[in-house]
Amino acid sequence: MDCERPAEDHGTRQNGGAGEGGEAAGAESEGDRERSREPRVNISLVGGTPLLWRAGDIRRVREEDGVVGALVGSLARQPRQNVRLGRPLEILQEEASLLLQRGRAAVQHTHNQEDEESHVKAVEAYQSRLEHSYEEQCVLALEDKKAVLQRVMNAKQNDHTCDEGTEQAMRERLSSLQKGFTLPRSAMAVQLCTARAGFGHCPEEAAFLAADWPMPRDERSETRFRVYRDLRGRGFYLTAAGKFGGDYLVYPGDPLRFHAHFIALCLSMDEQLPLCDVLAVARLGSNVKKTVLLCSPRDSGVEGEVVYSSLQWSGMV
Amino acid sequence: MATKQAHAEAARAERSEELLSPSELFHARSRSHKIPVRGQKEFLPTGSEQQKTHLQKSLQEHWTLVAEERVERLGNLVNAEWIPEEKLVKLQSPAGKFWQTMGFSHCGKQCLLPEEALYLMECGNVQVFYQDLPLSIQEGYERFLSPETVTLHQYQVFGHLKRLGYVVNRFDPRQNKQLKRKRSHSPGSRSCEKQTSIPQEDTAVGPCEDVLTGEPHQTIQSKKEQDEPMDSGSHVDRAPERNWWTAASSQSRSMTGLPAALPWDFRLISFPDLGSSRAARTCLAAPDPELLPGALQVGECKMASWLTKLNLKEEKLSRRERERQRERDRYKRSVNDDREVRRCTNWAEYLELMKKRRRQRCKERPAHLWEKDVTPLSQPGLCTSHRELLEEVSIIQSSHLLEEASKLPQLDQWRIIFNVYQPDTVADFKKSHPGNPYTRMCVCSFDGPVPDLRVMKQLSFQSADIPVTFAVVDHGDISFYCFKEFKLPSDFY
Repeated sequence: MDCERPAEDHGTRQNGGAGEGGEAAGAESEGDRERSREPRVNISLVGGTPLLWRAGDIRRVREEDGVVGALVGSLARQPRQNVRLGRPLEILQEEASLLLQRGRAAVQHTHNQEDEESHVKAVEAYQSRLEHSYEEQCVLALEDKKAVLQRVMNAKQNDHTCDEGTEQAMRERLSSLQKGFTLPRSAMAVQLCTARAGFGHCPEEAAFLAADWPMPRDERSETRFRVYRDLRGRGFYLTAAGKFGGDYLVYPGDPLRFHAHFIALCLSMDEQLPLCDVLAVARLGSNVKKTVLLCSPRDSGVEGEVVYSSLQWSGMV
Repeated sequence: MATKQAHAEAARAERSEELLSPSELFHARSRSHKIPVRGQKEFLPTGSEQQKTHLQKSLQEHWTLVAEERVERLGNLVNAEWIPEEKLVKLQSPAGKFWQTMGFSHCGKQCLLPEEALYLMECGNVQVFYQDLPLSIQEGYERFLSPETVTLHQYQVFGHLKRLGYVVNRFDPRQNKQLKRKRSHSPGSRSCEKQTSIPQEDTAVGPCEDVLTGEPHQTIQSKKEQDEPMDSGSHVDRAPERNWWTAASSQSRSMTGLPAALPWDFRLISFPDLGSSRAARTCLAAPDPELLPGALQVGECKMASWLTKLNLKEEKLSRRERERQRERDRYKRSVNDDREVRRCTNWAEYLELMKKRRRQRCKERPAHLWEKDVTPLSQPGLCTSHRELLEEVSIIQSSHLLEEASKLPQLDQWRIIFNVYQPDTVADFKKSHPGNPYTRMCVCSFDGPVPDLRVMKQLSFQSADIPVTFAVVDHGDISFYCFKEFKLPSDFY
């Protein structure tokens, strides 16, 4: 077994990495400050797990912050299968912490304390939208049916199969349609919203909510967070690696197209790892053809660097 | 103009809130229902154009799927209402096909458990209202999932199994079967009650023990001083009779105020004076055989010979003897310093204490092997099968998982949450008689502890004959583990 200190920098900066230009992990740059003035991404907390619900938010955090996460809900198009899941996106605690630190996201209040008046208004608005939608759909349905009939008529004309009688019948059908068609209410199409509508983007409220986010509390979460921030800053994409016996799976590019290169294990500098654990994790890594990375932040302050050691199973020939 | 602007603004707001326009809703019926297949992944990013276009294409497909909203025909939707006080969803229109395997009747209404309702919302079968507004999936997650109903991880497992086709319902430990569906009593009783805990075995030590250690030691000393002047009055040659054991314990208790456990009346106990000049004439009477351990015969004791050996001057120890004394003091302890020994009020208790200590010391030595004569474990010709022979020579008794499991107290962190029935039973599934489930599910995560033997015993006991599966949730990935009891074969042919 072969131990190197420190690991070589495998990562090549992708366009989707942490912002334009070389950004040191955690340091605020002009790009950061500019982006923090944009509307923030909403994080919803369910039982302490951070979730993202809006498709726009999910796309933005992937493109601008390299946050990949995992989709854990049913897919709208085909809800009864497990191959591809849909919203919400579950993100790591470290990802949520980083987004909040950088002012890119805000925690959403679960139960908006609405007063009676605004609630009544909301119900009215909903009803009127429904009515409006129904009326519009009636019009569209009628036009659709007319178009179908027209197509049939044209087809018959082109085929020269119809005579005067059938043509007349069709024209009558068309006119009766115009007069008497109604779309039954049950045939109306209705949207079942995925994300919740209406979160106030007022900055004071958002800031207040960010304050009570559970920031890393114990040493383990602190270690994990610093390793995450460092690896993310180098341009890697990170996802959870519980199935691989590690903390993070490290991808050189977007996980949609590329395989992971490393399994990262976060340890504090003075933590003792029994040899049999090292063997087990190295064996696991070699079985799945990934290099194991032992990551430890240096104790020097909050902005200290992280030290990496890689494990690769090698033979003695 | 103003209304047009208002409309435009409303449209923009709708965009950001992901609301579809009526035209989009209408044309959703002709949306594709196919999911594009994901291609092979590549190993190393090279920055080539081909890779970039591939990535863009994959991402675009991905965003299309992710952003798509659920659109359903109003007639296909079942309406329901969320009742937070009861943590239930009540149907307002008749249930659909899902009623065969989900839901229950309560007070004449069709109801769904929160996880069932949320799953049906995600499938686009049910529209749940709260205070006259429809709940979004997000609000469903936020309102329905809680430690009192079902947590997010547990719901993820529920959804995963339902999507695979299994029938999943809640486990009720009290009846050792699924939650009763048909109920006619008040809503209050429906809420999941906490299990009543099995009363712990009372292993506390009696309170009088500590009192005994403190008091008697002091009283004996004080009484000794008192007794001597009493004794000096008697000039009788024969030693006074020892009759303190006959003193009525009730008398002593009331007069001296000593704790009830003490049977002695120390005013009646006379301690022989062996130090004064009269001592040579004394001889001690035989003690009552009841007070002696075992079958000892002790006769009268003539003190004369002993008194000549008694040296009343202070001993002057040589240096070596002093050293030995120091070592003894440092490394050896007098048996009377032992608190537990002082607690013993008679020989029987002392022997019991010694036996207990011996047992604890020699825990690795089973009594049936060490306490008796050494004999061969087995004789040739005695056993007719391997199994018998192995039983004869066995030192460790094999146990089974459910042994003494009923005595274990209830667990807080681990609980069986679901019953899971096979998918092929769906057609014949009856909610009133579901039969035995295929397995029972317990949900945990990689952050938490691995279930130990205690947990497994407790859960297996709760589950009766049905195996328990552990579903470990890690960021959307679910792994299933189960522990199987295994018996080493003992018969060989």
